[in-house]
Amino acid sequence: MITFERVTKQYEGGSTALRDVSFHLDSGEMVFLTGHSGAGKSTLLRLVLMLEQATRGQVLVDGHNLSRMPMRQAPRIRRNVGMIFQDHKLLKDKTVFDNVSLPLMIAGLRYQDIRKRVRAALDKVGLLSKEKSWPLTLSGGEQQRVGIARAIVGMPPVLLADEPTGNLDPELSRELFGLFRQLNEQGVTVLIASHDLALIRSMGQRVLVLSQGMLVDDIPGADIAGARA
Amino acid sequence: MSLSGVRRRSRSWGRRQLFSLFSSLGTLLSHRVGTLMTVMVLGIAMALPIGLYITVKNLHALDLQQEQWGNLTVFLKTNVGEQQARALQRTIDQEPGARAEAISPEAGMEQFRQASGFGQALDMFEENPLPWVIVVTPEPAEGEELQTVVLRLEAWLQQREETDLVQVDFKWLQRLAGLLELGDALVSVLTVLFSLAAVVVISNTIRMDVANRSEEIQVLSLVGAGNGFIRQPFLYSGFWYGLLGALLALLLFNLCLYFISQPLERLLDAYGNSFTVVNLGVGGFLFVLLCGGLLGFIGAWISVQRYLNQINSSGSLARF
Ligand SMILES: Nc1ncnc2c1ncn2[C@@H]1O[C@H](COP(=O)(O)OP(=O)(O)OP(=O)(O)O)[C@@H](O)[C@H]1O
Ligand SMILES: [Mg+2]
Repeated sequence: MITFERVTKQYEGGSTALRDVSFHLDSGEMVFLTGHSGAGKSTLLRLVLMLEQATRGQVLVDGHNLSRMPMRQAPRIRRNVGMIFQDHKLLKDKTVFDNVSLPLMIAGLRYQDIRKRVRAALDKVGLLSKEKSWPLTLSGGEQQRVGIARAIVGMPPVLLADEPTGNLDPELSRELFGLFRQLNEQGVTVLIASHDLALIRSMGQRVLVLSQGMLVDDIPGADIAGARA
Repeated sequence: MSLSGVRRRSRSWGRRQLFSLFSSLGTLLSHRVGTLMTVMVLGIAMALPIGLYITVKNLHALDLQQEQWGNLTVFLKTNVGEQQARALQRTIDQEPGARAEAISPEAGMEQFRQASGFGQALDMFEENPLPWVIVVTPEPAEGEELQTVVLRLEAWLQQREETDLVQVDFKWLQRLAGLLELGDALVSVLTVLFSLAAVVVISNTIRMDVANRSEEIQVLSLVGAGNGFIRQPFLYSGFWYGLLGALLALLLFNLCLYFISQPLERLLDAYGNSFTVVNLGVGGFLFVLLCGGLLGFIGAWISVQRYLNQINSSGSLARF
């Protein structure tokens, strides 16, 4: 589903965020991405979302070679990749319902269908009662869940999350990861960047470790589960 | 793609257009003061070429009554009395290709009083200062140029000793034709200039709208909105600005026309032309509205496209 082949990303300022990174994610996998601050986690996710283009190497998503695609094709890719942002990226002047409905509006669905699917997505993250609220009246955790509802409402085959538990308490974080696992069990490919090592360990899934832009470890889920025992 | 697929896609496209059209009007109306100011500037700017266009068009309408404009007005010397004047009129009438009418100083004064509205001021004259006047209408024979006849009559009348001054309306006609040509050119130039101004004004307004909503644009882009989707509401805003501007221009213009047309018609009637002011008509009205909307559309496109190019070039979307 996602393949990196010897990807290097150099920012214009000259700093190299990724060096020669190669890995492959099968469809339906759930994988964690970890590493110190500045290791290149966000950069890696940005490449999948076509917010950046690789300096060298190739990024493949669902069979499309992003390195060969012109930037104007980016919307097509983004519609198939749900992204959860650390700072939520919600629109303050739109209600929770309107925020979550954005991807469906873009797809041009009928209002009745939009309503049904938005409410289903909000129900899944436990926020159905807040559909008419404004984002700023919600807690950080609730805002994060609105972001998740927006990411999954279009039923994309791939879900990315950048530090989704950044400022949540441990219990909420665990709940959130449980939700990701649930989505994964329904067939969604999930890639989560996080440095909450304890939590990652408890999940027993494959882990990619970045350090200074290099992929230094790729630990299979079985070994993680073993570490927990 | 199957037919039902095409239909489904075109229906969802239509739904998005409709949604954008009205949501953009809503946004415009919710910023009342800013919208009003933009629309006022546009309205005034667009009213100018429309006004000039109609003025020139009306002058063209006058142009149609060429025969009348070929008249020669012969002002006789002040010492020429009624008998002499009438005799001259009969002489001219017998000339081939001319018909003459004598106007007494009293009749002339009465005409002037009615046409000018200077009634009271004219009462200040103790004596009637007007001379006898003979109006000569040339009647060219078959195949003869009006201009030749007029020139021949002018030369002949000039020599008469009763004559003080011969005024040839024909010259005015030529000058008018020249002026009309100039007017046409002016209309074209002004239309281009003010259209450009309208595009700039709308483009600048939309640029500010875009800047105010840059966060929204970036979020939309992050969740997969294409350029078309992002552009839509702004294009429609531009369209509405242009349309409202054109509507205001037409309103202003018609208001001016309402105040001008009555005195103008009275003045032209005094020249013996039964004249009604020509307006734009329904077709012209709709054309102006359409052009306004189109200019707005173009102005908005320029601004949004500039911004989209900026954020779409790799890596300039909001950091996360
Ligand atoms: N737009 C940019 N221009 C220049 N350098 C950048 C840019 N974005 C990131 N970098 C650099 O690239 C490196 C990797 O950054 P990245 O944001 O991918 O790290 P990260 O692993 O997500 O860190 P964190 O855990 O703090 O979010 C850093 O050294 C950073 O300074
Ligand atoms: Mg990061």
